[in-house]
Amino acid sequence: MKRRELLKTIALVTGGTVIGGELFLSGCKTGLKTEAGFTPQLIALLDEVGETIIPATDTPGAKAVQIGAFMKLWVTDCYTQEEQDAFMKGIKDLNSACKKLNGKEFMDCDAHQRHDFLVSLEKEAKAHDKKIEEDEKSKREMAKQEQKEFIGAPLHYYTMIKQMTLFGFFTSKTGATETLRHVQVPGKYDGAFPYTQGEKAWASSL
Amino acid sequence: MPENNTFDAIVVGSGISGGWAAKELTEKGLKVLMLERGKNIEHIKDYKNTSKEIWDFPHRNGVTQKMREDYPVLRRDYPLRESMVDDNWSPWANEKDNPYTETKRFDWYRAYLVGGRSLLWGRQSYRFNKWDFEANAKEGIAIDWPVRYDDIAPWYSYVEKFAGIQGTKEGLEVLPDGEFLPGMEMNCAEKYVATKIKEHYNGKRHMFIGRSANITQPKPEQNRVNCQYRDRCWYGCPFGASFSSNSATLPVAMKTGNLTLEPGKIVTRLIYDKDKKRASGVEVIDAETNKTYEYKAKIIFLCASTFNSTWILMNSATDVWPDGLGSSSGELGHNIMDHHFRVGAGGIVEGFSDKYFYGKRPTGIYVPRFRNVYEDKRNYLRGFGYQGGAWRGRGLDIPEFTIGAELKNALSVPAKDWRIGLLAFGEMLPYHENKITLNRNKKDKWGLPVLDFDVEIKENEHKMRKDMADDAAEMLVNAGVKEVESYDNGYSVGMGIHEMGTARMGRDPKTSVLNSNNQVWDAANVFVTDGSFMTSASCVNPSLTYMAFTARAADFAVKELKKGNL
Repeated sequence: MKRRELLKTIALVTGGTVIGGELFLSGCKTGLKTEAGFTPQLIALLDEVGETIIPATDTPGAKAVQIGAFMKLWVTDCYTQEEQDAFMKGIKDLNSACKKLNGKEFMDCDAHQRHDFLVSLEKEAKAHDKKIEEDEKSKREMAKQEQKEFIGAPLHYYTMIKQMTLFGFFTSKTGATETLRHVQVPGKYDGAFPYTQGEKAWASSL
Repeated sequence: MPENNTFDAIVVGSGISGGWAAKELTEKGLKVLMLERGKNIEHIKDYKNTSKEIWDFPHRNGVTQKMREDYPVLRRDYPLRESMVDDNWSPWANEKDNPYTETKRFDWYRAYLVGGRSLLWGRQSYRFNKWDFEANAKEGIAIDWPVRYDDIAPWYSYVEKFAGIQGTKEGLEVLPDGEFLPGMEMNCAEKYVATKIKEHYNGKRHMFIGRSANITQPKPEQNRVNCQYRDRCWYGCPFGASFSSNSATLPVAMKTGNLTLEPGKIVTRLIYDKDKKRASGVEVIDAETNKTYEYKAKIIFLCASTFNSTWILMNSATDVWPDGLGSSSGELGHNIMDHHFRVGAGGIVEGFSDKYFYGKRPTGIYVPRFRNVYEDKRNYLRGFGYQGGAWRGRGLDIPEFTIGAELKNALSVPAKDWRIGLLAFGEMLPYHENKITLNRNKKDKWGLPVLDFDVEIKENEHKMRKDMADDAAEMLVNAGVKEVESYDNGYSVGMGIHEMGTARMGRDPKTSVLNSNNQVWDAANVFVTDGSFMTSASCVNPSLTYMAFTARAADFAVKELKKGNL
């Protein structure tokens, strides 16, 4: 599977297009302000949110691949300024939303509470993103017709987090070689390679 | 700067055509100077990202805002990615140093380095068929090719044997067989669909392994070993399995002791001797120092890539012809073609959940043209072929709002079923009004005028695109593929990276720039053998045809030299 295929998979799982993963127009933007917003506390929070989405099982999870630091890099370097702002603004709401459901901040919740909160947040995010998609449908179609680049309104910040968690995890060394399989130099091709259900998938290549 | 500035031959450009020209001319004993505007790339040594993994790149091979800003053209489609534009490996041309203007949108994907796009091509290698060379004349489109299939067939064989093309013999007139190395295998889903298509269409439509320049039998004399199924040809193949100038033609040319390679030299014009009606040499500008030099030679091969060879002609002999050498025909810069694509269909192949794949095959499948051949007649001219393949992606059977271990596990296994996709590549007709011109109001980093593009597809192509989508969907449905959906993602000219035309060959100097031996009518010692010479485009990938015509022209040139005609 190619990286583009991985992006498509993630897009299908999270809904919407993977931000920064495909073709988007950019302005001349700097991520300096955004970078400063990624405090150690925020990165620790994103590590835990990522770990709730992709936890350690018999293989390491998102925290082990420093998913918070990856999100900092990706948001800062790959998002447009508008997307960066939407992310930074959104992430500020996470704890108050968590308090509403669980009576405490995310870091103080146990694994079950974290899971339930993110599922509720995902529902909110899907509804939010679906509305954007519907609102922009004709504009997207027109841009495609005219072969022009199109940047939609930013997706919900949770969608961003989930996309980056999945992308960052499965392209990390442990994600690609322990949770998935990877062979550096296959040396041969077998298009009918026996497969038993449950066996791991191949990792994405460059 | 070589001590001596006089050579038997100068080859401008080191891509697929230039590499072949250098190989053929040096092997025939000529002292050859190869000029390349980009930096040097040494085979293997300079393939610095070829063994990297996706996690070695901080943005995991993604696209940053900085990259988008630096590559406003490249970012329009898939070629822009971190591993192709970093400090270790950046084959694509610097777009800020090398601008161009667009009267109409034109996507120009350029690689300025030794090896050119021979390091980046898709390696699909197909012969034109006999009808491709006859269609213009029969249909009254543009002008007739001055060459027929039988003229070029032995040269196809000649280049195939050296380059190493894996493929299978199919015995089809529409896609002639060549000299193949053992073909790579179709996977289980592709074999199934291929069999079903053959059954349903009574053996009139075909699907087989895509013929590609990846070797499946070692070539020890060229230091090339078999494909290792990494599918990373774009990073330079350290095994030499993938054909490039760097892996194949240039080492042979170097070995003769007759080749002088000068990277970092931009050819600005041919020096034209109007009394002798010959080019006596070239003027170059050093990309680093901006100093200009002149080199002399008896013959010159322009292999600088389709538009850049024409750009050189446009800048040459302007004291005789204001629009440049070859412009006396009124066709220089005209008749631009590409293959229009980004349209096709895909679906699910059920029944192979117990099969997966091992290794990454660097080619897909091919479905040769079936429209407007034999008794088939459509409301447009010419036709299209399909490239594509079947694959088994990652798990997607995930209930909504699933996170945690369940999501991780679901994404860690293959999808239940295989998918198959067919992507059409259609022939674009040569239209006189599709053209490049010199834009003297805009200059590149070296103060040279840039090209302006005014190109579009027209009614014939738009009509064809409907079939390109519908036929793909219909074939897949008829082959038992499920959930088939067709698509047309839109196309801008240039995206096919198969640019052709602008210095077409023909039978009459009044309507063509080159004669049947790729000689400029107005300068018999100048040969243009990259995509510029193409009189029509066929629907098959063009590089093999450039190789064959280059080898043929080199053979002719040396014979003429020996006869004292050049």
